[in-house]
Amino acid sequence: MLKRNLTRIALALSLGTGLAHAASVEDVEKSFYPYKDSVPQFEGLEVGMTISTTNVEQFKDVMDEAIYQQVKDGWLEVKVGETTSFDLHPSYVEATRKGAAQVSLGEELGQINDFVAGRPFPQEPDLSDSRAGEKLAWNYKYGYNWGDSAAIYPFYWKYRDLESGKIERTLKFNFHFLNFMHRTAQEPVPEFADNPSEIFRAIYVQVLEPFDVKNTQLLIYRAEDDQTRDNTWLYLGFQRRVRRLSSGQITDSFLGADIMIEDFEGYNGRISDMNWSYKGTKNILLPFYNHNDMELATDLVEKDGYQFVEFGGKGGCFPNITWQLRKVYVLESDPVDDNHPISKRVHYVDAQTFTKPRTLIYDRKGDLWKSWLIGQAHPDHHLAKNKGTGVSIDDAFSMVDVQAGHCTTGQFKGQVDAELNPIKLFSVQNMRAEGR
Amino acid sequence: MRKINKILATLCGTTVLGGLMAPGLYAQDDDWDTAGFVENASYYRDGPGLSKFRNTGQFEFSKDFGDKFGFQGFRLSGTLRATYDGVYDLNDDEYGNKAGGSRSFENFNSTNAEIIYGGNGSSPWGQSILGAGAGPGFGFDLATNPNQGLQVLGEEFHKPNGGVTIGVPVRPCSKDNRGCGLNDIYMDNSLDDLRFPEFNDNHDYIRELYVEGSIPFGKRSELFLRVGKQQVVWGRTDLFRVLDVINPVDYSRQNIYDELEDIRIPEWIATAEYRMGATGVFDDLNVQLVWNFDEFSPNNLGQGGTPYSILDASSFFRSMNNCWENGCTVSNFVPAQALIAAGAPLPDPDDPGLVSADFGPGVIGIRQANTPDWELGNTQGGIKVEGIYNAVGFSLNYYHYYQQLPSLHGGIEAMNPFTGETGTWDYLIAFDIEYPEVDLFGASLDFDIDAISTVFRVEATYTTGEEFANTLDPQLYSESDMFRWVLGVDRSTFIPFLNKTRAFLISAQVFGEHMLDHELERAPLGNVGIPNWEDNYTATLLVKGWYKSDTISPQIITAWDHQAKAGAFAPSVDWLINDNWRVMLGANIKFGDGMKDQKFDDCRTCNPFPPFTASPGQTQPGSLGLGGIEPLGRFRAGPLASASKEDEIQLTVRYRF
Repeated sequence: MLKRNLTRIALALSLGTGLAHAASVEDVEKSFYPYKDSVPQFEGLEVGMTISTTNVEQFKDVMDEAIYQQVKDGWLEVKVGETTSFDLHPSYVEATRKGAAQVSLGEELGQINDFVAGRPFPQEPDLSDSRAGEKLAWNYKYGYNWGDSAAIYPFYWKYRDLESGKIERTLKFNFHFLNFMHRTAQEPVPEFADNPSEIFRAIYVQVLEPFDVKNTQLLIYRAEDDQTRDNTWLYLGFQRRVRRLSSGQITDSFLGADIMIEDFEGYNGRISDMNWSYKGTKNILLPFYNHNDMELATDLVEKDGYQFVEFGGKGGCFPNITWQLRKVYVLESDPVDDNHPISKRVHYVDAQTFTKPRTLIYDRKGDLWKSWLIGQAHPDHHLAKNKGTGVSIDDAFSMVDVQAGHCTTGQFKGQVDAELNPIKLFSVQNMRAEGR
Repeated sequence: MRKINKILATLCGTTVLGGLMAPGLYAQDDDWDTAGFVENASYYRDGPGLSKFRNTGQFEFSKDFGDKFGFQGFRLSGTLRATYDGVYDLNDDEYGNKAGGSRSFENFNSTNAEIIYGGNGSSPWGQSILGAGAGPGFGFDLATNPNQGLQVLGEEFHKPNGGVTIGVPVRPCSKDNRGCGLNDIYMDNSLDDLRFPEFNDNHDYIRELYVEGSIPFGKRSELFLRVGKQQVVWGRTDLFRVLDVINPVDYSRQNIYDELEDIRIPEWIATAEYRMGATGVFDDLNVQLVWNFDEFSPNNLGQGGTPYSILDASSFFRSMNNCWENGCTVSNFVPAQALIAAGAPLPDPDDPGLVSADFGPGVIGIRQANTPDWELGNTQGGIKVEGIYNAVGFSLNYYHYYQQLPSLHGGIEAMNPFTGETGTWDYLIAFDIEYPEVDLFGASLDFDIDAISTVFRVEATYTTGEEFANTLDPQLYSESDMFRWVLGVDRSTFIPFLNKTRAFLISAQVFGEHMLDHELERAPLGNVGIPNWEDNYTATLLVKGWYKSDTISPQIITAWDHQAKAGAFAPSVDWLINDNWRVMLGANIKFGDGMKDQKFDDCRTCNPFPPFTASPGQTQPGSLGLGGIEPLGRFRAGPLASASKEDEIQLTVRYRF
């Protein structure tokens, strides 16, 4: 609590800085189209090349700390792809143009003023702005991560031993995402009526396999008021009951994976739960690619012919995809709660999409604990229904627990399809009905 | 209704499945969501040895047919389950055709009994001092009711200690049908019924089979209907069934310790749920109507002679049904001095002890179990309003149902054993089992207190119409309103010296029960009235951890019954070898007091046949309070203390597909 109070005092003192620069049309253009005129370059780095143990030192500066070490140790090789623009949906960009100039931070962590829709703070972050990190966090929270709604349908998680490569468990899920507010593309725009608690976003998860966790369901409500705690419920198939989850369960392993609920999408929590620090802007290699151009897995093929991303490298823990040299904002978040199981996360936030394709997670002692990768696929080179949706598709993930020598990998079939995400799906009562 | 049940089951099991499933399986095989497992559960009990060798096969299926018959998401779901419990073959000396034996019955401190029977003075079944010749209602035919295949009621838990005990036939009803006459569906299981519990006239191998679908009303609202054999679960707490009362429970599988999902008895139920979604001040609001149109089924309490008999009640019932139908020996029933005063020619006129009695048929016991006939007016139903307001989940519940535990009603027509006269007699321990109608009013809440990272769950119910044994009442039962509540607390807590990276789930619950019309009075020889506690509290604590990607999960469950001063300690380890194989090794250890530590008025001094049964100075029927462990101590002992001799090691191996 003391830490939170000190944070609030610091924020109040820096309020003037936070309001220093309102967004301009030019800011918006630069934010959404950073590669309009040119793409980042690095000496010696060429499209089509592979970074491996033999040449990793040459490219250390365009890799995050963990990927560099993993390539150096021979855990994976990084194939370099062409840097391409992942244009977000025009409606989201337009909403940003309309609203960004009037948005400001509130006095306290987790407060924002006059936000309607779009990217709240498209301005280039400033290291001299003590609240720049918080603004980046807001851009992520109100990002176009899955658009107004989308589903990962289905979603395979594999638990793997990093050393032996043995697949210990395979879980099959459906994930659904729905924004209740700040919608820009799918009707209703800008929000659903009848939202008495002002829920901003909901995530609904259904476990399909294996049998011991089948019918487990998860529902998360994130309030519009960031200082209001998420409401999270879990339906346990074997109990046939919906149980409310305490915050402690959000920061614990989810179904035995190397992932906690708070890790979903890069960070799945409130802005208010973390202290945010902007550490600078860099060009580094990020897992951005065209799904249909990748080497795809031949197992788990869907009836419509869709193939998932294949995994390889050490322990089968790394997706076989290509990497782009992209502009990132380095953003640190450290928990407000002293009892949180981690000391900090370092997010490499993609500057164009505001997704979090790379996040490094540090344990309470400050040592690197987990390396979190979420591969981003271009929507125009994925399922046909995703073309033109302007959503950077989360397409493959890898969470490597570097301390335990273990990883969890994820293979997505992301579908930007409002029909898969009716609002009725996102209710506690639906969990009871779906769960037998 | 049983016929309707059969017809529905047969129809669903053949026509519906045949029509929908078979072509679907061939044409759209992967459209059916199927899963299942085979499992062996082998339990070893301290003393009797093998107590369970249960082999289960379960198959679940469901298919979403999309928009059909005017419904959105029309879906058919079902669960088939088949069990073979080999304990009745592998340990038939304890639980099968060779169980039990000949038994003798205590004549406490009786010098005459020592002279007549030698040794400690116990008298063999059917050869009591007060027996044939003492009156028209004494003595029974040992040819039809022989001294074999018997146990003494409660013998696994306690010695008679001067109290009443009764002989219990313990072999399956196909081998020995004594005490199996309560009802054609209740406690009359043959050996095959026990070995293969799902394969009965009720087609319980079709564990669940229902159709469901919704009719939309706008984007947020819909009417959701589900009809078929199903479980309907109310409430928010574990183990304790405060609101979760719609389906009866099969305690014969493993007392209170199996998952409720596996031991709820699915019934033919229709539910209609109007889901309003977010509306007004509520984030979620829905109203559910439940209509249980199945024939009433009580809780399955096991059967005398089977390994899991909660409160050992089924042994008591079987012994008492045998008393009614064939006669029985009851230990320590009569003071020797009463017989001497009545002119019995006994060798020691100064005998200070108690002697057994052989009652003939139709004098004492339980005549039958009267379950409500199926008719529209006898069906059960209720309503639940459930929602979320300001981040607090809540429900308001009402349910009208039949009590799922039996109520023993005295006042049935019986024979005065001294005169042969037939009539109804106050305070006579001759009963029918009835299932009274109950009205339940309930509510539940769950909420999170973020400052302590803790979730609270609360349930409370108020019921009217429940009935309990009451030795103050001439018919030996009375009604009481009941208030029950549960407070549950869940918290994820890191215990770093045990696991640095994964929190432990700590879940504690306290269950409280208050009997509003409790009656208990002090009589000259002890307390009389309702044996149940007026107020009682039971606490449970679960500590569960996970290791190796949740593939190894140790847990400890403890429970403590405050009034019975009895507890259970159940450590276990669950090992998921891979996605298919799972092994669970556990133990269930009882501690604290046992059934032997609970005594209550046993109605020996109820004087139903004055002057023959009057104690000195007793002129009217009504108990003087002489008591013992049997038969009512079990209601004070509760499910923990009454299983005090059931310590077990448990191994379960499951293969999932």
